[in-house]
Amino acid sequence: MEVTREKHGDSVLLVIAGQIDMYSSPELRAELTAALESGSKRLVLDMEKVEFIDSSGLATLIEVLQKLRGSEGKLRLSNLSSGVLAVFELSNLDQLFDIRATREEALQDDPA
Amino acid sequence: MADEVRGIRVSIPSHPRFLAPVRDLAAWSAEQAGFGREDTEAITLAVTEGCTNVIRHCYGGKHNERIDVDISFSTRALTIRIDDYGTFVDPASIHSRDLDEVRPGGLGVHLMQQVMDQVRYERNAWGGTSLTLMKHIQGDDHVLRSGELDG
Repeated sequence: MEVTREKHGDSVLLVIAGQIDMYSSPELRAELTAALESGSKRLVLDMEKVEFIDSSGLATLIEVLQKLRGSEGKLRLSNLSSGVLAVFELSNLDQLFDIRATREEALQDDPA
Repeated sequence: MADEVRGIRVSIPSHPRFLAPVRDLAAWSAEQAGFGREDTEAITLAVTEGCTNVIRHCYGGKHNERIDVDISFSTRALTIRIDDYGTFVDPASIHSRDLDEVRPGGLGVHLMQQVMDQVRYERNAWGGTSLTLMKHIQGDDHVLRSGELDG
């Protein structure tokens, strides 16, 4: 799994590629934690190249979401494949996370 | 004519780095059996959750224990059996959690139950747990490939 980080205004965009499971979740957690510690409260994940996610990956994302909510931050997921989205839906997490169709949509500011 | 059963069996260490190759084997088996993309993804998810639970709960995260994964398929169904050599876990204590409770963890059993037609825990011959996951091949998702299996 690979994660690259980009700054977009007030947001940090993390582009994730590969498979997210028990093996790679710690690395994802470290990357997300580093992004939070950089001071950003708006994280956007581009998951177009995420081929697989399991409950370990979901748990990592829930942890980050809970941390951000505690500091009034935001987490948006974007570009989920149908297979990855299905895992969120099976877990009833598609309603919990802010999931957008495209990276651009996810990076847009909320309407005033 | 009897439904011919094909399969593959591997033993892996209880290290998470081996989850990906087990997924690849499960995906290959699912495709050979004639499952479509969605069901193949479901099967790879289920086998990953099953093995992850063994590593985390049965072996307490130790990476040098043994997990056996047996994947067999016919024209009717694909069955995955995951055996560990730890202490048998009472199936009554294994249950998916309430999804209304939002917290990390506890989703693996739920996901297996959602995507597979059968999820069964039994004591195996070595005193550990045998987890059997089965998915039927049905409907339009089935591509008749029985001729290709002989290739």
